Amino acid sequence: AAMAPGKKITARIKRTLPVKGPQAPTLSELMRWYCLNTNTHGCRRIVVSRGRLRRFLWILLTLSAVGLILWQCAELLMNYYSASVSVTVQFQKLPFPAVTICNINPYKYSSMKDYLSELDKETKKALETFYGFSEGKSKVRRSVDEWSSTGSDFFKQIPLLKFEDLSKTVTDLRSGQKRKIEGSVFHKDSSIVNSGDSNDIIGFQLCDANNSSECALYTFSSGVNAIQEWYKLHYMNIMAQIPLETKEKLSYSADDLLLTCFFDGLSCDKRHFTRFHHPLHGNCYTFNSGENGTILSTSTGGSEYGLQVVLYIDEADYNPFLVTSTGAKIIVHDQNEYPFIEDIGTEIETAAATSIGMHFTRSRKLSKPYSDCTETGADIPVENLYNKSYSLQICLHSCFQKAMVDSCGCAQYAQPLPAGAEYCNYNKNPNWMYCYYRLHEKFVKEQLGCQQICKDACSFKEWALTTSIAQWPSTVSEDWMLRVLSWDKGQKINKKLNKTDLANLMVFYKDLNERFISENPANTLVILLSNFGGQLGLWMSCSVVCVIEIVEVFFIDSLSIVMRRQWQKAKKWWNDRKRDQVGKSPQAGDLERQGHDNPVCIDEDLPTFNTALRLPLPQDNPLPRTPPPNYSTLRLETAFTEQLPDTLEVGQH
Amino acid sequence: PCRFELVSEHLVQLDHMAEESIAFLYGINTSASLFHMNEKNIHVRDLSSVGNLSRSGFKLSQNFSLLRMSDHNNRSGKKHSSVGFRLCNATGGNCFYKTYSSGMDAILEWYRFHYMNIMSQLPVIINISDHEEQIEDMVYSCQYDGEPCRPSDYVHFHHPVFGSCYTFNSKGTDPFWTATKPGIPYGLSLILRAEQKDHIPLLSTVAGVKVMIHNHNQTPFLEHEGFDIRPGIATTIGIQQDEVNRLGGNYGKCTTNGNDVNVKLLYNNSYTLQACLHSCFQHIMVRKCGCGYYYYPLPPGAEYCNYNKQPAWGHCFYQLYNRLRNHHLNCFDQCPKPCRESLYKVSAGTAKWPSAKSQDWIRQALRHQNGYNSTSNRNDIAKVTIFYQQLNYQSVNESPLLSENLLLSSMGSQWSLWFGSSVLSVVEMFELLIDTLVLSLLFCYQRFRSKKT
Repeated sequence: AAMAPGKKITARIKRTLPVKGPQAPTLSELMRWYCLNTNTHGCRRIVVSRGRLRRFLWILLTLSAVGLILWQCAELLMNYYSASVSVTVQFQKLPFPAVTICNINPYKYSSMKDYLSELDKETKKALETFYGFSEGKSKVRRSVDEWSSTGSDFFKQIPLLKFEDLSKTVTDLRSGQKRKIEGSVFHKDSSIVNSGDSNDIIGFQLCDANNSSECALYTFSSGVNAIQEWYKLHYMNIMAQIPLETKEKLSYSADDLLLTCFFDGLSCDKRHFTRFHHPLHGNCYTFNSGENGTILSTSTGGSEYGLQVVLYIDEADYNPFLVTSTGAKIIVHDQNEYPFIEDIGTEIETAAATSIGMHFTRSRKLSKPYSDCTETGADIPVENLYNKSYSLQICLHSCFQKAMVDSCGCAQYAQPLPAGAEYCNYNKNPNWMYCYYRLHEKFVKEQLGCQQICKDACSFKEWALTTSIAQWPSTVSEDWMLRVLSWDKGQKINKKLNKTDLANLMVFYKDLNERFISENPANTLVILLSNFGGQLGLWMSCSVVCVIEIVEVFFIDSLSIVMRRQWQKAKKWWNDRKRDQVGKSPQAGDLERQGHDNPVCIDEDLPTFNTALRLPLPQDNPLPRTPPPNYSTLRLETAFTEQLPDTLEVGQH
Repeated sequence: PCRFELVSEHLVQLDHMAEESIAFLYGINTSASLFHMNEKNIHVRDLSSVGNLSRSGFKLSQNFSLLRMSDHNNRSGKKHSSVGFRLCNATGGNCFYKTYSSGMDAILEWYRFHYMNIMSQLPVIINISDHEEQIEDMVYSCQYDGEPCRPSDYVHFHHPVFGSCYTFNSKGTDPFWTATKPGIPYGLSLILRAEQKDHIPLLSTVAGVKVMIHNHNQTPFLEHEGFDIRPGIATTIGIQQDEVNRLGGNYGKCTTNGNDVNVKLLYNNSYTLQACLHSCFQHIMVRKCGCGYYYYPLPPGAEYCNYNKQPAWGHCFYQLYNRLRNHHLNCFDQCPKPCRESLYKVSAGTAKWPSAKSQDWIRQALRHQNGYNSTSNRNDIAKVTIFYQQLNYQSVNESPLLSENLLLSSMGSQWSLWFGSSVLSVVEMFELLIDTLVLSLLFCYQRFRSKKT
């Protein structure tokens, strides 16, 4: 009653919840106690194991399990935190892609006159004979004699033929002779189209120069296609002989092509463009090619903040046979990518404003074990002929070019040259066209193996384009604008610009949303192990340590016991036999001393789990061993207050 | 955009000025051919209220004239000349030239600058739409799902760049506008007039109509995402909806409705990134330059810039704008992306319309019904059809690679794989640790005492 209520409560608490000291009086006892009572597997085995080697092994195993846990959990945590960070990296500022612009017409027709006049003359004549019309002044239809007297190679090399009927009777345009043709016929166009009038079928014949009996005949349902293809073959021959520097001069300069330029609200000029010579499209200009190390980026979406250029398309200077449409070709690509204008370019109309809105998508596939793609292209046996980063397109083209050089001896004009090769022209390689067509056919039918060798690239960037067209210039603004632009164009061109010579192009990001598609492995090693551990733990509350335990007990120990039994038996049998032979009686007690009681077999390394538990403690232990700790048997309270006999005991040891 | 009577006088003046500077720069006399049609069209009405406003003492400034500069540092040897205009701050110092390599761009920018000044004195309170053309002048025919549209279906708004714009189905609540079937016949079909004679020749050089497909309750930024429609052409626009859902939180900044964004939106529509950026810029502009940029809406209490009142605003504006572009203003940090976004993928095909055979009767019919009066056979009508390609939509969702409970469960699995135990055994270990500590402390204490004695 005299006690204060607070003290009373504390006393009560002391009575009902007495604070006891540690679980064991000494450190070694404590450790022992812990290891025998814990749920974790390894620790118990350390204590229970008999023999130094075995204990050492178990210590090693337990420690490595601890290490593995720390490592794997650290990996998981890092994964967790890095995943939550990596998404925020996508900031609204997007790098602007490279934009390559080409005139559809590769070279100025006026300056190509020297090289092409012969060919053009021949083409005109061909048109005249086929269709009976003539261009320009040459109205008089020339006789066949004159044809041969002009002495041109073009028809000798590849004769244009007109088919009389579907049988192989043809009229040679040059000689007017009718003859029968041998060899296989290839229809370049679909055969359904030309089912009608067989008179209209026009084609040309390509023969193997070494073996003139082997010929292939290429036919077209339309004369337009036939003549264009025929023209192109000769054109490539001629162009292959002109050195690159000359070709660059023959094509359009940056001043010729670009009238005005505007990027992200600021004026830009030809210094922002990089020239790049394309074999089929002449000089092309790449905006933001990243050549000087900086890549421009846009801060906001919308047409005002993209690239705006006015292009000068000199329609009067077009090659009439090579290209039949007017305008420019553009392609949006990554700075490291090669622009395949001829394959995936977008065409732009003249006298119109074309707005191209872009959406940016980045994709990433997982490489080797997950899918068949390549990271850098280094693991593909095809040499990259373009000095740009790997893509499937580059691989296919390079592969074809390599096959071309190998089998035809020269390189195709539209693709870059491999080391040591040169472009085909029929002065040097009279056979190349036949060879090329044969090879190309094989390539298309996937017989060259290129499609099998080349793999997809693992990561690629893609710009989805939305194109819309408005009339430009509007009728009211046409007048002043054309005047200002003609003035800008300068004194070089005296004539006033026509609106059909101009094209307005806008390329911009529609919005700054970047879409990133990536594959993630569904099972990484960490997650696989986690799932495994989860299953084991859930159904058996077992771990790797416990698996090892099982292996130890059931395989190693039981096996050794069985083996020993057998050995003993064999030995006994042998001894019996010997004794029978010798006639001696066996020693007494031999039979009893078997198994674990046999001193022979109590060596350091032999106990098993079961026997370890069953066996009495060794008798010769000088000190009474501490019994396995029990909560009730430990009298720690008294031990700690005054006596502390354990310390003395420890000191004795 | 069309001309308002209110400021038409000034616009005529501006046109004359432009004409003079073109003549000065290029030595071409353009007046005869270029501007004659404007003067015919303008009849200033002597409405008393309007008249007073237009004589509010605004005058075009001659300070900002176009100049030609030639820089001789150009290595190519050719004389490379550029055209531009000079902008100075209030005291006349710190001038810089805004130059363009092409005269066309320079003239356009210069004209826009003046145009903004003129337009800025239009009072905001006046309901602009009263003064503008009616929808009948622009949309000749409207059909949706085979039925004619009702007059209540569109909302008119004034766009600072394009003038009158009309939004169909802006609320998205009317059951009339629900899409029932995909395909061209079930879409929205419009016949539009794209007249060019009222165009301001120096403001925009393209002709046509802008169409934008956007979400309900979203401010359309036609200048950013508008789709051009060419006159004389029938355009079929197929749309496909994509939905993007972002996780937000730790996984990236985004906002669900814009309430948690620091920037006060000036557009009274739902939150978009563009709207936030524009609002942010306008707020900074009002703070730094003292007036608002004409193309963006005004915050309360501010007024649009005009160089009679703020002679240096152009200088201030262009510098500020440069900083925005270079990310020196922190607008991009303040404006997160919306967490939930609908995007419309657009693909279009075109055909000539009306065809040569049918154009006579089409024009006749339009003339009868809509008062379409075009004598020339110039192309100034266009047809647009907007339809769903598919009624299903793609949805792109962000999901965490490793969520919290997945993390815990895999950590637990790891633990039980290598050790076969649970959190409780970790607690056991802690107990052991504490015991060890206590024991070793006691041991030390004992030793200390025994030494003393």
